[in-house]
Amino acid sequence: MVAARAFVRPRPPARTTSARSRCARWLGALSGIVCMVALAAAQPAFAAEPALPPVPAACKTLQAKYPQFKGKTLADALTPHTPGYEALDPNDPSQYIGFDVDLANELGACLGFKLTYKPVAFAALLTTLQSGQADIVISDIYATHERAKAADFITYSKVFDGVLVVKGNPKHITGINTSLCGDAAAENTGFVEVPLVQNLAPVCKAAGKPVPTLQLYDNNADCVQALLAGRADTYINDVNTVDQAVKAYPDKLAKAVAVTLPYSVGIAVRKNDPAFRDAILAALIDLQKAGVEKVLLTKWSLGAGHEESPRLLTD
Amino acid sequence: MDLFLHYLSLPYLLEGITVTLTVTGLGLAGGLLAGIVLAGMQLSRLRLLSAFARTYAVIFRGTPLILQMVFAYDALPRIGLRLTAVGAGALALSANEAPFIAEILRSGVLGVEAGQVLAGQALGMTPFVLMRRVIAPQAIRSMVPALGNEAATALKNSSLASVIAVQELTLRSTQLASSTFDFFSIFFASGVIYLALTGAFSALQLVAEYLLDLDRPSGRERLLRLLPGRRVPVAPANRAAPAEMPQADVLRPPAAEPAKIAAALLGGTTAASAHAAAALTAPARAAPNCVVRPAPPTRGQTAVEVFGLHKRYGDHVVLAGLDLTVRAGEVIAMLGPSGSGKSTLLRCINHLEEWDSGVIRVGGRSLGYREDGKKLAPRGVAQERANLGVGMVFQQFNLFSHLSAKENVAGPLRWVHGMSSAAADRRAMEMLERVSMGHRVDALPRHLSGGQQQRVAIARALAPSPTVLLLDEPTSALDPELVNEVLEVIRRLAVEDRLTMIISTHQIRFARDVADRVVFLSEGMIREQGPARDVFARPQHPLTARFLQALGADFAAETPA
Repeated sequence: MVAARAFVRPRPPARTTSARSRCARWLGALSGIVCMVALAAAQPAFAAEPALPPVPAACKTLQAKYPQFKGKTLADALTPHTPGYEALDPNDPSQYIGFDVDLANELGACLGFKLTYKPVAFAALLTTLQSGQADIVISDIYATHERAKAADFITYSKVFDGVLVVKGNPKHITGINTSLCGDAAAENTGFVEVPLVQNLAPVCKAAGKPVPTLQLYDNNADCVQALLAGRADTYINDVNTVDQAVKAYPDKLAKAVAVTLPYSVGIAVRKNDPAFRDAILAALIDLQKAGVEKVLLTKWSLGAGHEESPRLLTD
Repeated sequence: MDLFLHYLSLPYLLEGITVTLTVTGLGLAGGLLAGIVLAGMQLSRLRLLSAFARTYAVIFRGTPLILQMVFAYDALPRIGLRLTAVGAGALALSANEAPFIAEILRSGVLGVEAGQVLAGQALGMTPFVLMRRVIAPQAIRSMVPALGNEAATALKNSSLASVIAVQELTLRSTQLASSTFDFFSIFFASGVIYLALTGAFSALQLVAEYLLDLDRPSGRERLLRLLPGRRVPVAPANRAAPAEMPQADVLRPPAAEPAKIAAALLGGTTAASAHAAAALTAPARAAPNCVVRPAPPTRGQTAVEVFGLHKRYGDHVVLAGLDLTVRAGEVIAMLGPSGSGKSTLLRCINHLEEWDSGVIRVGGRSLGYREDGKKLAPRGVAQERANLGVGMVFQQFNLFSHLSAKENVAGPLRWVHGMSSAAADRRAMEMLERVSMGHRVDALPRHLSGGQQQRVAIARALAPSPTVLLLDEPTSALDPELVNEVLEVIRRLAVEDRLTMIISTHQIRFARDVADRVVFLSEGMIREQGPARDVFARPQHPLTARFLQALGADFAAETPA
């Protein structure tokens, strides 16, 4: 039963939010105002939090080159349904935490801007960016040529997907292949896995098997629920998300297999602002050089091997 | 259960309530404002406005709110309008609520009896006064349940703002569910919070309904009910109640006794009582000098002139070149079969209806037209009605059903003639005493019998001291036993006050006794007119003879009473 589990589960400390979350743990029922006071008082202590290298010196040069972003507050659109990458902090739901959130903050620290977050549906990420309601999208979004028509992408990570199934894998699913024929896959609207599953239809037909069906949901939690409710047979998403789901429901779910997808995860920026794009690209290169990204990947248990040299994808 | 309670009390979710209520509140407020504009446009006489309103309703009622939300959030910035998420959500919700609220408002307004609107116009109310004092108060009462529904719907619909990053309850719940995997505990908690909110809305609706209930006992009455041995005057809801009023009561001359009652009711000082008594015994017309209007025509002068009046509804001719002159102080009884044009003529005299050609003058003025012959706007017509002083009494009484008998009389005096509250009340009491309704001044129309309602309606028409009183079949809607009490009041107006009156009636005997002249109408023309006794005894026109025969009136044989 859901109710039987403890709602506080261990999780790596988040540098950007740890002040408040630790505060919440310590003070328990005390009000947020007390937290804020404590936070203000404790601020200097966190400047020297371990594990993260300091802001690279090269960032100073970048700030001089791109002074227009210094002191700004930019909006980052994200779909906070992917624990590990971006999700609410269960201990302090007023904060977003995850690898992408940390990376965004590091980029901000390098170029001198601050960030606010706009939680939107995955399918609305690029629309929100295009409309100007957000300035940047760092939300575990894969850089594809299709998407590059709507925004420019700066890639930062390789993609490994996991195939989530009911424990015991009763349908014997072995990947995005003919083992999916006739099965129901739950996916998020707008995910790259959607066309991959759709493309199986002719393959299955050729093999004389029924085609796989797709159930489109709004977020990660709904996809997992579809699997738990027996509506769907599999949910294919990035391997970390799949691992998190298995961790949450170890008696009911399992990862059938991990697959490599020919994509990279990318930061999306507006096409009409090449200066910002170049600044982000340069900052990311500097952060990688300084080893910041690897530290963050490790911190969120994503595996340092995910790191990928930044590439610009524009269409 | 622990998890459920944990999430139910989680500040993060509770803070979402504020956002949910903000979006809902802004959406409803914006929807109400836009709805008022839309309803006004739909009810407007201008085709272009109503067409625009209808097109708007088709678009915003016909597309999903979720698309409107995304449009407000993502498309409007392309034309330079970048709203915050809450702003975009509230805008979309307003735009979506507006046509629904407009329909509620429109049906509320249309639900107010047309007769009351007509009566308000006849009393000289401008469209604004009519809306504010007569239509809106009644419409609001009937709209409360529908608006309560709409508020609950808007609250639930605000959850769709979750798609555009509005940090309301639903978005917070889904995000929390994604990060903790406590799917059901969170959604149960959020569901319970929504229930509490919609429950609060329902409670507000019930309170509003209670507060607006006209039959709700006043604070003082409730207090009195709690005291033992206290008799509380409760308005009887019994329609047969007037039977208890003896005929003699109606016939009672307006002398010392009503003065006493009035003084007691007014509860004033001796001086005030004396003043009230003096006012009561004076003729109606002379009493208040607050209503400013040209001096009434002296007896024998022309009060109303109608020349060559033509009116048709499509192919049907209602008035076919009608001429009529009424002298001041004259009482005219209009007879004629149904559809002969009696009611239409009376309404035209008061310019409650338009006509095709012809001239109508009241007190020498062309009501509804400027000096240069151009038509006046509705507001101007209303003011002129009030200035010229044409009172009107309707077949269906048309009392303002949300107002007490006293307010029915006093209200128009304040709103149209600018009387002070005290003066209007005094005048209302005086007029109600004159029609022997002084004992029921606080009763609502629905608690009065038809006869009583019509007497209040007569008091209301008389209160501004009209120069001419038009009575449109004043007893036709009454039960037979109630006819006399109303006729008696009218008779007194004719005999004691020599008020100029045009009465359309089927009461032959009454016409004979009271009218100076009988006018017989048929097919929109005056077929015959003359002194009542002559017309009834020796009808010259075969149509008159046939009509009188049909009514079973053999007056030649009847001896005078």
